[in-house]
Amino acid sequence: MPFVTPEFLPALPEILLAVMACLVLLVDLYFGRRHPSWVFLLAQASLVLCALLCIALYPEEPTTTFNGTFRSDGMSAVLKVFMILVTYFVLFYSKFYLDVRDLFKGEYFVLSLFAVLGMMILVSAASLLTLYLGLELMALCLYALVALNRESSMASEAAMKYFVLGALASGTLLYGMSLLYGVTGSLELDRIREYQSVGGEIDIILVLGLVFIVVGVAFKLGAAPFHMWVPDVYEGAPTSVTLFVGTAPKIAAFGMLMRLLVDGLAGVQGDWIEMLTILSVLSMAVGNIIAIAQTNLKRMLAYSTIAHVGFLLLGIIAGTRAGYAASMFYVIVYALMGLGAFGMIIVLGSKGFESDRLDDFRGLNERSPWLAFLVLVLMLSMAGVPPFVGFWAKWSVLREVVAADQVWLATVAVVLAVIGLFYYLRVVRLVYFEEGQEAAPLVCGTDVKVMISTNALAILALGVYPSALLALCVTALG
Amino acid sequence: MAELVVFYCFAAILVFAAFRVITVRNPVHAALFLVLAFFSSACVWILLEAEFLAIVLVLVYVGAVMVLFLFVVMMLDINLAPLREGFTRYLGLGAAVAVLIVAQLLLVLGSDRFGLERVGAPVRRAADYSNTEELGVLLYTVYAYPFEIAAVVLLVAIIAAISLTMRRRPGIKAQNPAEQVAVRRSDRVRLVKMRSESRR
Amino acid sequence: MLQNYLPILVFIVIALGMGTVMILAGSIIGPRRPDAEKLSPYECGFEAFEDSRMKFDVRYYLVAILFIIFDLEIAFLFPWAVVLDEIGTFGFLAMMAFLAVLVIGFIYEWKKGALEWE
Repeated sequence: MPFVTPEFLPALPEILLAVMACLVLLVDLYFGRRHPSWVFLLAQASLVLCALLCIALYPEEPTTTFNGTFRSDGMSAVLKVFMILVTYFVLFYSKFYLDVRDLFKGEYFVLSLFAVLGMMILVSAASLLTLYLGLELMALCLYALVALNRESSMASEAAMKYFVLGALASGTLLYGMSLLYGVTGSLELDRIREYQSVGGEIDIILVLGLVFIVVGVAFKLGAAPFHMWVPDVYEGAPTSVTLFVGTAPKIAAFGMLMRLLVDGLAGVQGDWIEMLTILSVLSMAVGNIIAIAQTNLKRMLAYSTIAHVGFLLLGIIAGTRAGYAASMFYVIVYALMGLGAFGMIIVLGSKGFESDRLDDFRGLNERSPWLAFLVLVLMLSMAGVPPFVGFWAKWSVLREVVAADQVWLATVAVVLAVIGLFYYLRVVRLVYFEEGQEAAPLVCGTDVKVMISTNALAILALGVYPSALLALCVTALG
Repeated sequence: MAELVVFYCFAAILVFAAFRVITVRNPVHAALFLVLAFFSSACVWILLEAEFLAIVLVLVYVGAVMVLFLFVVMMLDINLAPLREGFTRYLGLGAAVAVLIVAQLLLVLGSDRFGLERVGAPVRRAADYSNTEELGVLLYTVYAYPFEIAAVVLLVAIIAAISLTMRRRPGIKAQNPAEQVAVRRSDRVRLVKMRSESRR
Repeated sequence: MLQNYLPILVFIVIALGMGTVMILAGSIIGPRRPDAEKLSPYECGFEAFEDSRMKFDVRYYLVAILFIIFDLEIAFLFPWAVVLDEIGTFGFLAMMAFLAVLVIGFIYEWKKGALEWE
């Protein structure tokens, strides 16, 4: 392979973030004890800078550089901007959460930044090698973040489960990749796609590799039947980490799915559509039905995530550009809603009190009508009730599934979504129509209140005017 | 022909060692069998003329990772009995899944797909051929981007390992050599002038 | 290329043979009359207090993992040194960036006191 000196410009956001993350580490090392807020501010500043750079470098044409290992296109740029945006909010909630509990550590922010770097590498990977490295970078940071509170045995247990199952998934994915490499003789996703179109008959080893890859990605996404780690990790991890694990990595996992299946394995589309259909139906069923039995809100939201992943897969199952755009819209909207829902748990908690049981939400309306209203917005949006944005997300994927002549799948999805309505509405009922044990008005900082309000109102605004974001997703996918 | 004999010897040792890793009772023995497995796969890699990778496998995995494994095994103080609990309970299901996967793999990964007529025989290199050079030429130019990501992954590993296992132990009396070296006479000895007293 | 490794193979075979022969010879020729008292663990005339395996301090783990990381770094340095004249300035700078990232890691562990045993 001849070497061409690479263009650095398309990868500038990644380079900047890597440098800034190292800088944050050094600042924490030398000034962390005296000025702990510097780390936080610098981390936020680097995210903002990086997002601006991503927007400024928005590629008109897909460009591949670093000798076919890095690709920058509309999808990667949009996903990166939203991942950074979500992380910005996450770090904000995290600071509040950590400050209240005296858990503030500079490493928390450094690891978060490196996790974002991993996600960015993941969504703009053009070869299996970079894709895997990006995935591992992200996953390593997340494992460490879950375990960062060493005093909590629940967090350690969650981290252990997350690590072991995550390593298993990585192994599966890697095995699938090695089979693909064995058949096609290339690590580049473009070459892998070309191989199939030239080959004529579909190679069965390619399909075998595909099986392993789908299993690996399903693990990372948390799709049933590979969802076992999701509830335990969500419940055991500190809420601020749950918030992070549940939002930005989902966007990255969507990007990974698109890179692997659409960019790399378009030739065996028929096969992966069948596999994803099974995963999708199972996820929606498992998520929506088991969530009803939960008494812990974090666990309930974990099952809700599984159900949402099922919905997210619907658009990819449709197998068209419009379907992918609908899925992309779904995952971005889901990340925003998850951010609000877990953010609410953080806002309502205080030192020594997690506020993660459903009972903790009883009578919230008496204590703080405004926060109760935000809970209403978030829950109805998650349930997919119009006019909130969650409805438009569900509607757009369902429309694409119907357009792809899979009416039965759409029907199943609608029925399961209606079942899912029950547990979201139960939260609303607890908030508005039940008496709480505590009657004292809720006090919480203005800054987090502004943050959660912005978050929920953005969901409301997107619900009224969803077409801009949807159009962005359509243009990004070209 | 001789190569084939050597290959089958090492492959047999590899499979045996890997099998013993998961069946042997003592975790320390399991770790040592893993060393054997790594070593025999390094030998197989050498037969494939991937000499640098083989040597790195021995250096990094046998030399460093296995030391870590042994530390961890000793750190955990594993009680063996509970580990075996539930083994028979899941044996049936696990065996069924394993048989299914092996059967599928055998169906697909036969020699008709990965045989020599499909892939082509590897070119045997002369004695002066350096696999390390070939690797180096690619790694630092064509694969520079993944190479740098590897550096970041290693950095994250450092940060994670330290922030998860380091703890300050308060109240430890330790020497500080820098302070000891920098000490001056005036810090330790104070000469006091006093008048000699008369004997009474 | 493989002929370069023939001496190592010969060495492995001889070493295996020597080891087996010595152990076998020892067990065949040497007198062995075990009894229960001989085989019990000996601890200065007392009954054994505890299991011979004891918990290691977690600090060993930290040292081992830091060693692995820098061991890997060396593994990356080796092919670089071999082809330095072929890969030009780009290859040189690529390694410098790699080292810079790891130096930051090194500063971190030094400053955190992970290299001190206390």
